[in-house]
Amino acid sequence: MSESAVRTFGLAASICFAAVIVWLYAHQPQSLAEVSGGLSATIGAYQIDQVAFDEGLRLFREGQFEAARTAFERADAAHKDARTQFYIAYSFYREGWGRFYDDDRLFTRGVEAVDRAIALAPHGTLHEDDPDLMMHTADELRAELQAGLRSDSSDINPLAVLRKRK
Amino acid sequence: MTAVREAVYLPLIFLTVTLLGGIRLGSRVALVPASLFSLVLGLMLLGVLVKAGALAPERLMNARRSGLANTSGFTVLATVFLASAQAFNLVTPESGLPHLLVCVFLLTLLLNTLAAGADRVRTLRSLLVVFGSAFILKFIVLAALSEQTGGRLKRVLLVLLEGVTLGTLTQEVLHPANGYLAFFTLALFLVGLGMLPGADRSERKELIVVRGQG
Repeated sequence: MSESAVRTFGLAASICFAAVIVWLYAHQPQSLAEVSGGLSATIGAYQIDQVAFDEGLRLFREGQFEAARTAFERADAAHKDARTQFYIAYSFYREGWGRFYDDDRLFTRGVEAVDRAIALAPHGTLHEDDPDLMMHTADELRAELQAGLRSDSSDINPLAVLRKRK
Repeated sequence: MTAVREAVYLPLIFLTVTLLGGIRLGSRVALVPASLFSLVLGLMLLGVLVKAGALAPERLMNARRSGLANTSGFTVLATVFLASAQAFNLVTPESGLPHLLVCVFLLTLLLNTLAAGADRVRTLRSLLVVFGSAFILKFIVLAALSEQTGGRLKRVLLVLLEGVTLGTLTQEVLHPANGYLAFFTLALFLVGLGMLPGADRSERKELIVVRGQG
């Protein structure tokens, strides 16, 4: 191999490696699935596991929220699909909702998931036409989760027990 | 120096160090970019290497070389700098009094090495000692102190020590794999430094003579 060919190859390899390093530092992936999913999303080739998603949706509608989240995680292991992240956040909301008090731990994780959904959605807006849901946008869901985490005078309002889960 | 070493091996070694030096394993995997102070230390290390003749920038970039050769030479310089910053970032404790002390310790050692004006071999030996001692301090001594397990005596001593240092001594408990990863990263970094194109001995002797006459 000629010297210029070696240098060109080395330069190209260095640029590619440096780009991967910058991407890794910027995205902070937590698993190999997130690495491969993130890279394929960068070139627009990312697809969720539709079978696992449908299974998650079925479990979600049956009220089996933890099992639904497991299926949704399997469907979108790279956390790159806005719609799946929205359903994960919604499952945290429904599981954490309580007539007397909400589960702050689940609501916090719900906020994390809905923030991911908003970040991934085109123009930051996500609308889901699912008749089973009472909140159809990620913004509504985020506001509801944030309200559940907030401590204010409405927490001691006795009429709050009459509110309905959305 | 061969073109393969300059264009392929050296950039890939130093980019690997840049990547691995930022990895912190724990319940979550985090990639920590180099701090501003690490960047300063990295730049100082470049100065030390050049002054000692362990790195000859003129052999990597000069007017007689082609544009492509100069670009690959620049890549080596840039990656050495990034890897140096990340190597310092790796051996510096994350917080508290140890962080401050190690920063001062590394700065002093680098200034001392710079002032001593040692040759290539002695400078590389000195760097081995600097990184080796910082590694032992962070990944063995401080990690052992920060470990929650241990006998009653150790806990009593730790409480006393924490009182003296206003609670700034112990660090976040490190995952054991961090130490192994850091060891490999530092070893790779030092191998990379050893492979850098050094100043020609005859040229260097001439330079010293000229400086002596001046």
